[in-house]
Amino acid sequence: MSATWLLARRNLARNRVRLVVSVGGVALALSLTLALDAIYAGVANQLTTYIDRSGADVWVSQPGVRNLHMVASWLPDSVIDQVRAVDGVAEATPILYSTDTITAGDERAVAYVIGVRADGPMGGPWDVVEGSSRVGRGEVIVDRGFARKAGATLGDRVTVLGGEATIVGLSEGTASLVNSVAFVSFDDFQAMRAGAPVVSFVLVRTAEGASADGVAAEIERRVGGVTAQSRDAFAAGERRLVTDMSAEIISIMNVIGFVVGLAIVALTVYIATLARRREYGVLKAFGARNRVLYRIVLAQAVLSVALGFVIGLVFTGLVGFLVARTDLNLELAITAASLIKVGLFAIVIAGLAAILPIRQVAKLDPAIVFRRGVVT
Amino acid sequence: MTTLLLEVRDATKRFGEGDAAVTAVRGVSLAVEPGEVVLIMGPSGSGKTTLLSMMGALLKPTRGSIHLDGIEISALSESRLPDIRLRQFGFVFQDFNLLSALSVLENVAIVAELAGFNGRAARNKATALLTDLGLGERLDFLPEKLSGGEKQRVAIARALINDPALILADEPTANLDSKIGHEIMRLLRRIAKEQGRSVVIVSHDQRIRDIADRVLWLEDGAFRDIVTMATDPVCQMAVEREHAISAERDGQTYFFCARGCRDEFLGDGGANGPGG
Repeated sequence: MSATWLLARRNLARNRVRLVVSVGGVALALSLTLALDAIYAGVANQLTTYIDRSGADVWVSQPGVRNLHMVASWLPDSVIDQVRAVDGVAEATPILYSTDTITAGDERAVAYVIGVRADGPMGGPWDVVEGSSRVGRGEVIVDRGFARKAGATLGDRVTVLGGEATIVGLSEGTASLVNSVAFVSFDDFQAMRAGAPVVSFVLVRTAEGASADGVAAEIERRVGGVTAQSRDAFAAGERRLVTDMSAEIISIMNVIGFVVGLAIVALTVYIATLARRREYGVLKAFGARNRVLYRIVLAQAVLSVALGFVIGLVFTGLVGFLVARTDLNLELAITAASLIKVGLFAIVIAGLAAILPIRQVAKLDPAIVFRRGVVT
Repeated sequence: MTTLLLEVRDATKRFGEGDAAVTAVRGVSLAVEPGEVVLIMGPSGSGKTTLLSMMGALLKPTRGSIHLDGIEISALSESRLPDIRLRQFGFVFQDFNLLSALSVLENVAIVAELAGFNGRAARNKATALLTDLGLGERLDFLPEKLSGGEKQRVAIARALINDPALILADEPTANLDSKIGHEIMRLLRRIAKEQGRSVVIVSHDQRIRDIADRVLWLEDGAFRDIVTMATDPVCQMAVEREHAISAERDGQTYFFCARGCRDEFLGDGGANGPGG
């Protein structure tokens, strides 16, 4: 280890309280940013779960509809056969979709209510852990977490789309922080809409070897008045919605995390440098150039921030692990983009935090070493 | 190591401007030969440390010049001085000034690394030097675990690690007891005589006069004739006979830095002299 890093490391380790404050502060500040990013990424992941697990390669919707959350999409049911006729389409099935509040006892929850055909090859629940995975008239499949909270079980009644349905299945992985997914029969959903011959989306499975984007483009070309997107594009639209909704909050929290982290590291590195002014003076007297001393100061800041970053990352991961084991329906997803962003934050914090102490060291008179007592 | 001659030519150092200006050193000239031990004594505030700082290229004289083997180092740019300090001077301080976070070995090795030695070579060199100075068993100790004498020996090892031509020591015995202080001074003298290095010591400790080849008295920033000086028998400080408090006992005259020392020396006995 070079003298620079050795001295920086030892200087940090020498004052344990200062080290804990510095590293802990950075860890807390960076984990604030990381955790918030992770929460929003988790919510985005959860929101796209239905899209990802629906089994569809292409989503066909009302023109201009490019995501699922908080939208309404209505297409005439004649579109289904038109879509089936497009080259590259292996299967096409309709779903009806609405956001509704479902009620079981005193428990109320917002849910994507999906009307699926009993024989539909796509769009139904993918992980039914109890009961049936098919819904008939007057039946509903709800998320197990919702049922647990409501104290409901198979055979119990829930209110959905203004009517009542019996729980015939409990699904897993269909709840997010925002909502869950409930599956009802296509016919019930349609009846609630007064039997109107409409569908919300047409889900398409492409033929082997056909590209989803290519088929989507072909559907838009051949079937008028629809928007068709590959699953990935549709899911990206959904994630973008979350990002757009959360951008300001994330930005504010990023700034807070950045400022807090910067203030803590800057203060502790400054104090550490001030406390060792005489020692820096000794090194100067012995011929150390300023750039060597700058490196020592910068190395201290970098070590503090790097340690804080790692601890913050572990802490956030641990929180995510623990949260996943609760009933919060909250997922913390630490993304590569978030890691890069927070890593860059950390680098900038280390650099800025070292500026003041470096100025102190630059102005230091090496003759300080001959002064007795406290050096000011 | 190359043997170099250090010369101070008519050096003056003034701090501040106008009415607030203080002249710490006034027109001092001095030449230090290779292998010579020079002791500069004087009361507090006499300019000893300022002179030492100028000799070590830590301060530039306001007037006059400092020469190292014919090169006027006081005229060199700031950017060239670190190299001169790194390779030509070794400093020993009253407070030892060891880096508290580093071990004994690291304290010495880091200065070798500053001079360009890689980590392993620096450590090997430092180990050999410290072992030679009797600190082989203390290499991994932190400074706080050492006695005063051991700390000063580490400081001397650090001063020697880059093979400097000159050792500049500021009150090296001030924080040591008499016995250890003498050991340190003998060590500095041995370094001068065996290795041909010049040693300049600033001190007001009369007990170390015997190890110096030359003793100079600095007062009010200028050298004075040392024969007019006497040693306070209580605190061992050098005092000017002419202005000192004096007292007689058993037919001999003693000189004191202050009444306290005189009273302590005499107990309740009588006294005479300017302060008496």
